[in-house]
Amino acid sequence: MPQPPLRHPGNHNNAMKTLIAIKEQHQSWVRDAFPNMHPLLLPLCNKPFIEYLIDFAILAGSREIRLLSDGSLMEIEEICQTGSRWGVELTYANIRPEDGERELLHKNRKFCNGSRTMILNGYTFIDYDKRLDYRVLANHSATGPIASCSTGSIAFAGPPEPAADDNPLPALRITPLDSLRSCYHIAMQILETGAERYVLPGYGSEPGCAIGRNVAIAKTAEIRKPVSIGNNVQLLPGTIIGPMAVIGSNVIIDKGSSISGSIIFDNTYIGEQLEIEGRIASGNTLIDPESGASVAMEDPHLLTGIHSATNSATLLRKTIHALAAAILILLQAIPVIILYPLLRLQGKWKNGPITQQAGLAETLAARLSLDRFPLLPKVLLGQLAIIGSAPRSNSPGCRPAVFSYAEAEDWPVTGSDAAIVERYHAVHSTPFNDIGMTIKALINRPHKRNAGAAA
Amino acid sequence: MNSSNITITLPGELRFIRLASKIASNTASLFTETRKTEAENWEFAHAFELAVSEAFTNAVVHAKKQAAPQPVTITFTLEERKLTIAMRDSNVPFSTRTPSPDPENYPENGYGLLLIRTVMDTVTLTRENDTNIITMSKTL
Amino acid sequence: MTITETTGSTHTIVTICGTLDASTAPDFRNSPAIADPSRTVVIDLDKMDFLDSSGLGALVGVLRRKQEANATILLSCMNPPVRKVFDITGTCKLFHIFDDTDAATDYAATYLRGR
Repeated sequence: MPQPPLRHPGNHNNAMKTLIAIKEQHQSWVRDAFPNMHPLLLPLCNKPFIEYLIDFAILAGSREIRLLSDGSLMEIEEICQTGSRWGVELTYANIRPEDGERELLHKNRKFCNGSRTMILNGYTFIDYDKRLDYRVLANHSATGPIASCSTGSIAFAGPPEPAADDNPLPALRITPLDSLRSCYHIAMQILETGAERYVLPGYGSEPGCAIGRNVAIAKTAEIRKPVSIGNNVQLLPGTIIGPMAVIGSNVIIDKGSSISGSIIFDNTYIGEQLEIEGRIASGNTLIDPESGASVAMEDPHLLTGIHSATNSATLLRKTIHALAAAILILLQAIPVIILYPLLRLQGKWKNGPITQQAGLAETLAARLSLDRFPLLPKVLLGQLAIIGSAPRSNSPGCRPAVFSYAEAEDWPVTGSDAAIVERYHAVHSTPFNDIGMTIKALINRPHKRNAGAAA
Repeated sequence: MNSSNITITLPGELRFIRLASKIASNTASLFTETRKTEAENWEFAHAFELAVSEAFTNAVVHAKKQAAPQPVTITFTLEERKLTIAMRDSNVPFSTRTPSPDPENYPENGYGLLLIRTVMDTVTLTRENDTNIITMSKTL
Repeated sequence: MTITETTGSTHTIVTICGTLDASTAPDFRNSPAIADPSRTVVIDLDKMDFLDSSGLGALVGVLRRKQEANATILLSCMNPPVRKVFDITGTCKLFHIFDDTDAATDYAATYLRGR
């Protein structure tokens, strides 16, 4: 009759044990941001979160680690298994969401076996340094929390190991890992200062430049440290990676793009001629870590093929845009006739921010986007589109237009983001969709200008 | 590729659940793979023990009212690394049985199909000529 | 399946030996300390080698009835095949699970004393 394999009881030499307790509520933001990623495997500088905790436990002299969760353990158990990969013995147990340290110790009493126990509670990042000796934690007699933050703590229970040592404990700081913003900042911090402090994956000829396996770097691609690159990555000609760039695994950075101050997560394609600065990119989503704003592209790629842009110059699109322009001309004609002379006289016919003293005429002109009126006839002539890219340049991938998609989208309009949004829509937008976007632009523009004045 | 077949018919009574699931797990242990770990081999056998226990219980518990217990037939198809089990019963159709429970309320009943679908690779429920057939398979 | 009960002053330790499934669930439900809703029990699962959804349903049902009567169930020494069933169904959230029966009984004593 088949028997379940025996879990070997492990060392009986009373070495320090570690309990890692992470509750679902603290990890839920990761599930929302990255639906297919297990929170314990969230990569920080291409090293899964759980490995930092395991590394720290090993530094503190602990080889038996138990993972506690108030949710399902099946997924993480299948991936981490017995922990032999890291040279530790990993076991798993369920807890309840409301369990505190006392309950955790009660429920794992057999595991702790009277030894000194370190409890890593919460989804937090531990600022440790691999060059320091943390085994003093096991020898110390202090119990209770020795470091804590809003979402977690490091605590100890049980008697000190033999050769009790009351030398001062090394300073330990923990940072909450509670949002994309903190994840971004922690990853940047590790990139900047972490090569010495943590065991980071990748090979590098110099500190600050860690590169994984099977990475193809074109001759004209440039790497400016500090940079961390995962496995199976392609950097095409003309790309500039860094400074402060984290590239995950299975990533392609297409020609001429530059990545700085940003994290590109696994399985992401970055299109050509894009500037990604201070952002997080994952699959088809681009995220601003500070504001949390995100743009999801329908395609699984951030796409901007030059070939696709020229395809969109179809007769249908031109006709519809011309029609829209004609309607807009008719609608704006009367306000223009009335307001233009007034504003010309006042010298206010400029596209500047609306000040507090803005007169009625100026406000009205702004709300109706009358400043774009002179450009509308060009749409009828086919020289411009009604909506596309602005500035109205003729660079590859751009469709010069009266309004820009970036103005329509509620997106913080820095130059690089605008380019991505504009080129995406230039490729994917249908002519009818364009009309909707034009109306959106008409509505949103005054808001933007107000925001510009207020800022 | 050769495949072997085993067919067993058991009376549709609760007291035979254990026998059915033990036959399933013992059959699955024929598949021990030297390339896999002891744990993986054991997982494979346990998956069938659980799935058959659930399926057999289901077949018995949904007996037509006031009828004598109907036999349940289990067919095992053994391919090189894949075991397929088909269980046939002539009780009430699958569609009239209790639907999946609302997991938020942690009900007492209804987890059977969830468990089968989680531990098995493929699961199909069909009805043919008054017979319910549940087919499940797993590859080692 | 065999059930052994060890009665203490505040709670009873119930040891299950064997399989808890649809055929043995009635015996489980009828065991005195299980059937008495107001009795807190520590169920030792060390010798329980198999659990399916019927057994799980029995445990959940008994837990509900006991909680309504201000008592509870504590589970101890769960084996991997049993833990898997709890995990898949998400019912591990409902129970207090200990890796040692003595720890469970100590907790039962404090738990009862505290209320």
